[in-house]
Amino acid sequence: MTEISGDSEIVLKVENIAVHFGGLVAISDLNLVVRQGEIVSLIGPNGAGKTTAFNVITGFLKPTSGSISYLGKPLTGLPAHEVAKHGVVRTFQKTSVFDGNTVIENILMGLHLKGTSKVWEVLLNLARVNAENKYLNARALEILDQVDLSDKGSEMASDLAYGELRLLEVAIALAAEPTLLLLDEPASGMNPTETASFMKIVSKIRGSGTTILLVEHDMRMVMEISDRIVVLNQGVIIADGTPGEIQQNSEVIHAYLGYGDENA
Amino acid sequence: MKRGIIILWLVFLFSIPLWINDLYFLHILINTGIFVIAAMSLNLLLGYTGQLSLGHVAFFGIGAYVSALLSVGFDLELTDTYTFVFDPIPVWVAFLCGIIVASLFGWFIGKVAFKVRGAYFVIVTISFAEVVRLVSLNWVDLTEGPMAINNIPPFTLGIPSVWEMTFYQKEPNYYLILIIAIICYVLIRRIVQSRIGRAMISLRENEPLAASVGVDVTHYLVIATVIAAAMAGAAGGLYTHYVRIVDPDIFLFIYTVTMVIMVVCGGKGTLAGPVVGGIIFGVLPEILREFAAPEIQWIIYGIAMIVIVFFLPDGIVPALTNWWNDRRKGVLSSGLVADSDPAIRDKK
Repeated sequence: MTEISGDSEIVLKVENIAVHFGGLVAISDLNLVVRQGEIVSLIGPNGAGKTTAFNVITGFLKPTSGSISYLGKPLTGLPAHEVAKHGVVRTFQKTSVFDGNTVIENILMGLHLKGTSKVWEVLLNLARVNAENKYLNARALEILDQVDLSDKGSEMASDLAYGELRLLEVAIALAAEPTLLLLDEPASGMNPTETASFMKIVSKIRGSGTTILLVEHDMRMVMEISDRIVVLNQGVIIADGTPGEIQQNSEVIHAYLGYGDENA
Repeated sequence: MKRGIIILWLVFLFSIPLWINDLYFLHILINTGIFVIAAMSLNLLLGYTGQLSLGHVAFFGIGAYVSALLSVGFDLELTDTYTFVFDPIPVWVAFLCGIIVASLFGWFIGKVAFKVRGAYFVIVTISFAEVVRLVSLNWVDLTEGPMAINNIPPFTLGIPSVWEMTFYQKEPNYYLILIIAIICYVLIRRIVQSRIGRAMISLRENEPLAASVGVDVTHYLVIATVIAAAMAGAAGGLYTHYVRIVDPDIFLFIYTVTMVIMVVCGGKGTLAGPVVGGIIFGVLPEILREFAAPEIQWIIYGIAMIVIVFFLPDGIVPALTNWWNDRRKGVLSSGLVADSDPAIRDKK
């Protein structure tokens, strides 16, 4: 599946990131690059710092030290909504949608950055506000179609089945038209059928040129879909390579299974 | 069909003074109208951004005081030798200034809300209203304190020295308030149905998710507070030039509570909610006054509120909308975009 060559352009550069919560070191020294068009998976045992890494990259958490840049522009310390403007958009580990709204409204909210009408234009109800609304509505339907939720548009988000909710999350993120999409355990809780169709959707997203950084515990999915896997353990990267390399890596096996076999 | 209903409503509202000869009842309607405007403005904050402002009456009072002071004129002893004298300006200009000053304070509160949410935002707004009340009470030089500002001029219409009409009567005040209420309703509707309104709703529903797709949360909170404060200020200005006297009691906490009750019972986050709630809780106490002792009135008022909130937790308007939609569901099954548009769902 690895058709992205090693010298493709580096888009995301994470350098020497450390995150401390008081005395607790969540990430001690993270260095990570993601290349244009790649699917990179970030894996590791619970508490390894994967979600913390996501939070730092997307501006939800300020790193204690280190720097992050995307397409050559610094992201370090920017608030989340500014990071989104640079095309870096995430989903959340815990299912996170706009519960009280319909599916199509959820997507419309995700399309926030695609609209430009200002308050005064809205108050005066200028023609371009209506035109823009029409355009956004059409765009929302396209996005729904992309994640196979076309027939759910008018349902309340809170009425969706679990697998559909996870798709809606991705759709909301897609609405912001990311060039780098960070998916935080998108397939957790999905059944194998749902996972399989979800993987097709991820491939489709990548096919449209979006780079993807993925945190996922479903190893079948990770191995099948990733161009490259980065393994994080206790805040440190312990391996970085193709799925094949990672499967053979003894340190990774130890991180997941422990060193118990000698004493068993 | 929809257009027809709107026109019928407008005809009904505009014709009220023609067939109601009871001036006292018209007075109640005017007061209710003022409260409906204030409740609609609170709804933008409470209903759409999800932030409970328990100091909303501050904007109302600021609008009232600024408009009153500028139209009456005042002098202020700044130093022993220098007294600043402000000559009265036309009522309409004073009214506009009241709106502007109220919205400036709204901007300030919105900025403060940058860091505080939920309970802390509530405390900030309560404190703000209390500070403003104390200022109005103690800065006697400017506000006359508890002696109140009297003889506030009413609104006028026309060209000076050619033809002029001064709003001493109830009817013109009724029409003025009705027109401004309609303007406020239309403006709020435009906001709520736009991407601006969607951004506000998204921050109410799920702030981290909103931020992750690029919604600048503070920015939209500030927009909401500025617009809400401006409208509350307008309501205050209308009030002050109608009753023509203003004292620090205008900042009483009970008025904020009344607005919150109107919004919550009517249905927060819906366009018609504060209108319905405002009419019910504006007219109800007056109807009760006819046949119940004051203590009983408050008990009935309280029971009505509890019953509404208990049986219709989302408020009257969402309950009616759901009931109507359920009835229609069999007939209408598709119409995806139209039905899901928040705008259309919110229409009464």
